[in-house]
Amino acid sequence: MNAALFRITPTGWAGLAFAAFAFIVLPSVAGSFWLSVLTSAACFAMAASGVGFMYARLGMVSLTQVGLMGIGGWVALRLNYAFAFPFEVNLVVASIVTMAFGWLLALPALRLRGLYLALVTLMAAGGLEILFATFKFPNGGDGFWGVKLGSLEPFRGPALATTPEAYLRYVVACVTLGFLFIEAHLRLAPGRAWAMIRRSEAAAMAAGVNVTLYKTWAFGIAGLLAGAAGCLLAGSLGLLDSGTFRSPESIMIFALAVVGGARSWLGPIIASVLYRVVPAFLASWGVNTNLAYMIFGAGLLHALITAPNGIAGQIHEAAGMAARKLGWRP
Amino acid sequence: MIEIENVTVRFGGVVALNDVSAVFTTPVGGIIGPNGAGKTTLMNVVSGFLTSNSGRILVDGADILSVAPFRRAQRGLRRSFQREQIADDLSVRDNIQVQLDPLPGPASAKRAEVERMLAVTGLTDQAGRRGAELTGFERRLTDVARCLVGKPRLIMFDEPAGGLSVDETARLGELILGIHALTGAQTLVIDHDVELISRVCNEMLVLDFGRRIAFGPTADVLADHNVKAAYLGTEEVLA
Amino acid sequence: MINWFAYLAAMAAIMLWLSWGKPFAISGIFIASGLAVGSLYALGGIGMVVLYRATGVLNFSSGAAGAAGAMIAWQVAKWGAWPPVAWASCILTAVILTVGYGRLVAPLLAWRDTVVKAVATLGFALIILGLVSFLWKDDPRSLVLPTDEIGARFLGLRVTVTRLIAFGACLGITLGIWLFLGRTETGLKMRAVANDRDLSALLGVPILKVETVAWLIAGLLAGFTGLMFANLIRLEPVVLTFMVIPSVAAALTGRLNNTALVLVGGLSMGVIESMLTLSPELKGVRPIAPFVIAALVLLYNQRAARLVFAERG
Repeated sequence: MNAALFRITPTGWAGLAFAAFAFIVLPSVAGSFWLSVLTSAACFAMAASGVGFMYARLGMVSLTQVGLMGIGGWVALRLNYAFAFPFEVNLVVASIVTMAFGWLLALPALRLRGLYLALVTLMAAGGLEILFATFKFPNGGDGFWGVKLGSLEPFRGPALATTPEAYLRYVVACVTLGFLFIEAHLRLAPGRAWAMIRRSEAAAMAAGVNVTLYKTWAFGIAGLLAGAAGCLLAGSLGLLDSGTFRSPESIMIFALAVVGGARSWLGPIIASVLYRVVPAFLASWGVNTNLAYMIFGAGLLHALITAPNGIAGQIHEAAGMAARKLGWRP
Repeated sequence: MIEIENVTVRFGGVVALNDVSAVFTTPVGGIIGPNGAGKTTLMNVVSGFLTSNSGRILVDGADILSVAPFRRAQRGLRRSFQREQIADDLSVRDNIQVQLDPLPGPASAKRAEVERMLAVTGLTDQAGRRGAELTGFERRLTDVARCLVGKPRLIMFDEPAGGLSVDETARLGELILGIHALTGAQTLVIDHDVELISRVCNEMLVLDFGRRIAFGPTADVLADHNVKAAYLGTEEVLA
Repeated sequence: MINWFAYLAAMAAIMLWLSWGKPFAISGIFIASGLAVGSLYALGGIGMVVLYRATGVLNFSSGAAGAAGAMIAWQVAKWGAWPPVAWASCILTAVILTVGYGRLVAPLLAWRDTVVKAVATLGFALIILGLVSFLWKDDPRSLVLPTDEIGARFLGLRVTVTRLIAFGACLGITLGIWLFLGRTETGLKMRAVANDRDLSALLGVPILKVETVAWLIAGLLAGFTGLMFANLIRLEPVVLTFMVIPSVAAALTGRLNNTALVLVGGLSMGVIESMLTLSPELKGVRPIAPFVIAALVLLYNQRAARLVFAERG
């Protein structure tokens, strides 16, 4: 299946083209406010891709993805102040720790029906919110929690990316790698196992699939990506605030991942644009951003009722129909 | 050889299987009976979806019930359900490949085996098409092909002919008859199509209300008057 | 049976450990306030379980409906209405929102699986939360009830009547629901639908009517708990909306099924959470007590479980 692994579909070409655009063009044209918005959006796109693929491919609902980002960010900040490792090391460690933490949180539910995972992660989101509010984020202080009053210690970003423009490129590259990581899984045995699990856990088991293992693996990937996204967000802002990781945020990113659609790269991009870029526009025009909650909630209902593959799915269908009309084969 | 020894399954007060025993030695065995008799329950016990309250099941001498359900496939168990379980998103080839993924062996050998079973079931031309695009019969054939790969020992079909036309049922019957020669596996078939069953199965187990009411070579079982009374029906001649 | 005893014994042991060395007058205060809040957790959980069993929908928007109701009650009282009118408007708002969802939106998803139905209620919660946050500026507010000022003596402690009402209402409503489900005809039909929806429909049970009653009960409970949470905890839309989380925790201890266990679970969660204030090390994280308890109960219940398959959607 080696040829199949590296084959690029039309959707894939479009994705790579978009990544190239985001890498080359966007950082050069955006002003400092929009650079920060786009970087933040890119981090959330990575998180959305994790929670989204888990829902779209396996029907697994995680309502604590932003909370897990907070774990990744916390670990990255703590490592930054405690040791002198390069940023990349912090990134990897934060991702792995978040993955393990995610497994710990989800452990009570992974062998049960999907509903229990939604419930357990909802509770976890609440719990994480409280932990972040109580213990806050490290900013150079002493002790395990590493919090101090007063001014911030410097945060060491990646050596490759010392300017905001370069950092956006760095994040875009990481996000693209994250998407490719998921895609690779989908094309190999895990993707096949997940598709069977989606179809019927009983049938998957009868086909020899270790259902618990593969569900755990999928959740691990979501945790890994959340951890990386959190670390990248910490790198962008230099500090993190507990308000960013409250439970409504985890629910929103999940809702938007469903609204955007998560069967391809386009879905998480739409989700992150809705989550970070659109509210920034609204705020700059003086529109109350609470309306965003309403619109996203309505969008979620609409997506669940009529458009299971989300906006991205509808775009793909439209593109597919247009292609057929023009005589291209899908 | 499949040895079912004193299997009992209770759901609260309902006894779904009541001390059922049978030893299948021929290539294709059948399980028939009215709805609710416990046929699917028996297969579910073998698959591991249900735990029996008592009894043993041995496949070629090995106790299958002591093995974790998802590992039974590695020991050669295969199952096809009343509704074909084909992943809509995967191609026919990938749907079959799933069965081989957990098994040891080089990827090239697995690919070759998938191609072989595609040819046997006549699906080679459909190999790249997604599950969602297949007809009902093609889905059933994919299901069958999946059961044939990876050195199966016991293949269980639960109402495989459901929803198939006469021709399709005949073709399915041919496939089932060829399984033992092709793979060395034994097959158990549940179905209500008595013509299919009598053509394909060498021996039959008849269940009614969870009890075994007959077991033996097909011809004998079909002539058994208990079986006729419970399931096949008797002729009533009006004077 | 052993599980009950083990759970209660564990809870009692934790309570004893937390109150060690402190006079009953002090720990009693926390037990009392914990029972009041725990009663609300239990009521929220029971409402969730009753609705889930009857309709298959796990309603995450109950907190939001309560929040909307509480804000309306505050607003109506601000406009000078007689307090009981304000309380009634809280309950009415919650009922309208909940039954509205149940009759208009839920049927559109009736054939989807449980997770989708539950996630849809999250969407509804976001809509309500967005609307409420939009209509009322983010200022500190409080919802005061006349019973806050009245104290009663109970076992040598002074307890506000509000807390007594919460606790009493919890016991009363739970008993009422138990009697309703067990002794009335509608309750019987609801149990039938909860047990097997399709079969009940075939038997002639009026599914729509039964479900509407279930949504009505859920709405009433959402309104009541919203009002009480607003008083006992805080009148803030986001906080009230996410009071659904401890209710979920309580529902989980009852395995989404057993109202008696949900009652015990909810009460014990409230008490433990409150009593953690007595521990200097743990008091900062006391709000996570319900989650930790629910997670442990879930883990314990699974210890012998194999992979469980959903039988129906």
